[in-house]
Amino acid sequence: MSDELVVGEGPSLGSDPFTQSDGTLPYLIRLREQSVRLVTEARPQPAGRGREALSEPPDLGPPIPELPSFDDGDESAGALDRLASWLLTRSDEERLVQLFGRLDGRSYDDFGLSPRVTRRALGFFKLLHKYWFRVQSSGHAAIPEKEGAILAANHGGLLPFDAAMVVTDALLAAHPPRLIRTVVDRWAGSLPFVNIFYARVGQVIGSRDNVRELLDAKELVLVFPEGMAGIRKRAADRYILQNFHIGFVEESLRHRVPIIPVAIIGADDQAPILWDAQPLAKLLGLPFFPITPTFPLLGPLGLLPYPVRYEILYGEPFRFHEEFSAESADDSHAVRYMAEQVRRRIQEMVDQRVIARRAKRA
Amino acid sequence: MRRVLVTHLESPVGRRIAKALFHDPDVALVVGVGTEAEPSFLVPYRGKVAYQRLDLAKARHLQSFLHSERFARARVDSVIHLPFASERTGERVPGGISSLVSETRRLVEECVARPAIERFVYLSSAFVYAPEPGNVNVVSENQLLGFDGEGDAAVRAWIDADLVCQGELHGSKLAMTILRASTIVTEAGEFLNSPPLAHGETPVGYDPMLSVVSDRDVARALVLAVHADLPGIYNIAGREVFPRSQLRENARKFGPITLPAPLGGALSLVEQALGRRAHATSFHRYGIVVNTRLAHDVLGFEPQYRIEVRGQGAARRIDTVRCR
Repeated sequence: MSDELVVGEGPSLGSDPFTQSDGTLPYLIRLREQSVRLVTEARPQPAGRGREALSEPPDLGPPIPELPSFDDGDESAGALDRLASWLLTRSDEERLVQLFGRLDGRSYDDFGLSPRVTRRALGFFKLLHKYWFRVQSSGHAAIPEKEGAILAANHGGLLPFDAAMVVTDALLAAHPPRLIRTVVDRWAGSLPFVNIFYARVGQVIGSRDNVRELLDAKELVLVFPEGMAGIRKRAADRYILQNFHIGFVEESLRHRVPIIPVAIIGADDQAPILWDAQPLAKLLGLPFFPITPTFPLLGPLGLLPYPVRYEILYGEPFRFHEEFSAESADDSHAVRYMAEQVRRRIQEMVDQRVIARRAKRA
Repeated sequence: MRRVLVTHLESPVGRRIAKALFHDPDVALVVGVGTEAEPSFLVPYRGKVAYQRLDLAKARHLQSFLHSERFARARVDSVIHLPFASERTGERVPGGISSLVSETRRLVEECVARPAIERFVYLSSAFVYAPEPGNVNVVSENQLLGFDGEGDAAVRAWIDADLVCQGELHGSKLAMTILRASTIVTEAGEFLNSPPLAHGETPVGYDPMLSVVSDRDVARALVLAVHADLPGIYNIAGREVFPRSQLRENARKFGPITLPAPLGGALSLVEQALGRRAHATSFHRYGIVVNTRLAHDVLGFEPQYRIEVRGQGAARRIDTVRCR
C-alpha cells in the first residue's frame, strides 16, 4: 500500500453503511425477517397439529452415566497400563471411575491431573501402601464426602512418601474415595520430570492462587505446615513437630472450610537424617543435603525409604470458620494462635501413637 | 446501538469479530481497519461492516483517518483493538513488534481525547503474567506481570501495550476493558497469541500446561465487553488445558516423521548450545493456566467451544467442537 492515505476512497461497499441513519439497517431488517421465516418453517409442528404424535418412550429409569475412560489421547495401552490393570482390583478401578467422573471427559484438569497417569501411579503406590509401609489408618469419617477441607499433617522422612501414603490411603480406604491434592514446595516445581509427575498425579505447587482455586472447587488440600523444616529435621528430633506456617489457617477462614489434623507415624523413621551438610547444599543449590546411614554411601539407592510401618490418623476437624469471620484471617495473632492449636493437636496424636508403639515393642 | 471500530480486522480473530458483530442486533455499524486489502470474508457483511485499509502504526495514517469526514460520519463510540491477534510472533509486522506498542499508545491517546468514544476493549495475552516454577500455576488478574528484559520480544511488547491500556483504567472517562486471552486456537488448528508454541522446543523434563480458547469464544468475549460497561481486566480461556508437548506435536515434524518429545527437547538444548536458537524462556518450562472466574461472574463469559486433540503421531489434529 502507498504511504499516502486518501480517506474516503475505500473499497466499494455494497451499500455503504456510512450513508445509513442510526438504528437497524433496512438490509438487516430484511435479513432478520428472512431468518425468522426460515426458522419458523423448519421448526417441527407440535403433536396433533398436522403431524402424527410420537408414542412416549418406555420409562427405563435414570440414564446410565457415561463412564470416563483413562485415555488422555494416547490410544495405545502401554506396559504400564497393563501392569496397573494387574495390580488394581475391580474395586480400585471402580473407585477411580467414581473419582474421575467429575472431569467431564477432559483429559486433564486445570492443574494438569491426568486420570491415566494417576491410575498407573496408584498401582505402584498401592504396593508400597500394602506391602512396604503396611499402612494402618483410622478416622476416615473425618474426611468430608463432597465438601472441601484442609488436611494439615506432620512431615518427615526426606522424600515425601508420607504425602503419597495419605493420598493413596484416601483413594483406597475413604468412603467415598477422595483425591487429596498435596501442596508441594515451589522448589519441587522447578525440578525436571518431578514437576511433570507431581502435576499429573494431582499435586500442586504451593501458591495462594492454586490453593484458593482448589478450595473453591471443593477439593481436599493436604498441607505440611512445617514446610521444609519437617523433612530435614535430624533423627534426634523425630516426631517433634517444628513451627507451623500459618497460611493454611488463613485460607481455611477465607474459604470457610474445616482443618483436619492428620498424624503420620512412621515417616520420621524411614530415612533418619544424621546430619544436614549445609555447606554442600549451598554449593549444589539444594535446600539441604542429608547424611543418612545409607546416603550418600549407597548413592541414589540410599534415598530409598526403609520398610517401616506407617500409621495414619485423621483427627476431629477444627471448625475455626464457624467461630470466626473471614476477616479474622487478617489478624495475624489470632491466626497464629489457631495454627498453634492445630500443631498441638497433631503433636498429641503423634505422641500417643509413638508411646503406644514403644510400649508394644517393650 | 453501538458503533464499533475494530483494528486489525483482517486477522483471524478479526474475522470472528466481524461475523459476531454483524449478527449482533445491538450493533449498528462496524468500521474495520487493517494493513491489508479488504479481505474477501467481509463481502457477506458489507451491509453493516465497512473496511478501511491503513497502517495504524503510522501516526499520519491514524491522524488522517480520525480526522476524516468518513470517520466523523461513522460516529464511532466503541473501539476493539487487536494489535497482536494477527501475528504469531510479530516477525511479519512491518515496523517490528514494538511498533504495535506505539500504535496502541497513540490510539488510546486519541480515544481519550475524543469524548464520543466511550469504550475501549483491548485484547491482551495471558502470557503477560510472570511464570513461576511449576508444571501449572493458576493465575488470577492480580498476578504480577513478567518484566523480563531478556525475555521474548513479543511478550515484552504485550506487557508494554497492556501497561499503556492499564494507564487508562482509572481516572479516565474512557471505559477501558483489557481481556487477557490464553492461547487462541483457530478453526484450522493454528495457534495465536502463544509465544511458547510459536517457537522453541520444550526442555527435557518440563512439559508445562497451557490453557487454550477457541477464536470464536474470544470474539464472544470481546463483543460482551463492548456491550458491558464494566471496565477492568479479565482473563479469557476455554475449559481445556493441555501439556505444551501435545500442542507442539503438530509443528514438530520432519516431513512425515514426528519427532518424539524427549528427542525434540534434547535437540533444542543442542541448538541452544550452538547458538542457533534463542534460549528457552520461562514459558517453555512453567505453565500458566488462567482463572476466568471474574470474566464469568462479571462479564457473563462462558466458553461455548471445546478444544479436542485427536489422533496419534502424524495424524494428530486439533479440533474445536461446539459444546452441547
